[in-house]
Amino acid sequence: MANKKVSVWTDIQFWRRSAAWVTGFATILLIWLSFDTIGQITMGTNADLKNGVDKRVPAATVINYHIDYKMNKKRGHEVPVIGEKQLFFGKEWSPKDAEALLRLGKLTEQAKNCMDCHTLLGNGAYYAPDLTKAWLDPAWQKGGPMQGMTGKNTVEEAMAEFLQHPSQYPTHARMMPNLGITAEEAKGLVAFLKHMSSIDTNGFPRNFSKTVAQFKAGDTNAH
Amino acid sequence: MNFELFTPFTDVVPSFFGWLNQGPMTLTIFLHTLIVLPMFWIYFSEKKRLQKEQ
Repeated sequence: MANKKVSVWTDIQFWRRSAAWVTGFATILLIWLSFDTIGQITMGTNADLKNGVDKRVPAATVINYHIDYKMNKKRGHEVPVIGEKQLFFGKEWSPKDAEALLRLGKLTEQAKNCMDCHTLLGNGAYYAPDLTKAWLDPAWQKGGPMQGMTGKNTVEEAMAEFLQHPSQYPTHARMMPNLGITAEEAKGLVAFLKHMSSIDTNGFPRNFSKTVAQFKAGDTNAH
Repeated sequence: MNFELFTPFTDVVPSFFGWLNQGPMTLTIFLHTLIVLPMFWIYFSEKKRLQKEQ
């Protein structure tokens, strides 16, 4: 009886049970993974920033700090480093105001459909430059061509100026169209970009804003 | 850049899946083991049932 020849592979019950097991296991795994992700992407608090607690997504008040981009040898890529306090549009923003500004920026980003051309955190298009780390782009820093072009003295003011009159400034061959962004919306957008640059994206986008020469020399813009 | 199979845990927020996913193969091997092993049991229990039925 034990050695009787049977065909398990052609038995419907075997496949039914296997499919049920794989589907059930995958379902439980995905539910677990979803909850695991919540912990990873939950925004930090203002207290975390003050106490130097690293969060993948820092609180909105991160706009009050200087954000640097440094090579982390251990992780093998660049990571945002939140540094000293830094005024944003000439003032320090309270947690409530910072959140409101960031929210305005997010809503504007959605309303103006930036992702039609740009990429944000891996979502969007590559018709225009990747905005994930745009705040850290050397072109917008002091002495950079983008800041010089607008005639402003800070990254935030230069970005806000550009966003309000994008079609006035010769940037790429594919120039950004004028989207009717107001001064207040531009402020929000810049806050949104600064906050986004402080998000730990495991080094995405790779080789951020490296020039061809830098890339060949193995150099990096992370200082 | 680190292309080793097993790399040290460097995630900002520690998690079980983060720990499992530190190399390109670790998560894959773990999940396949978990999925395939019970299928052996399903196979043999079905075989036993079929032999009993005949």
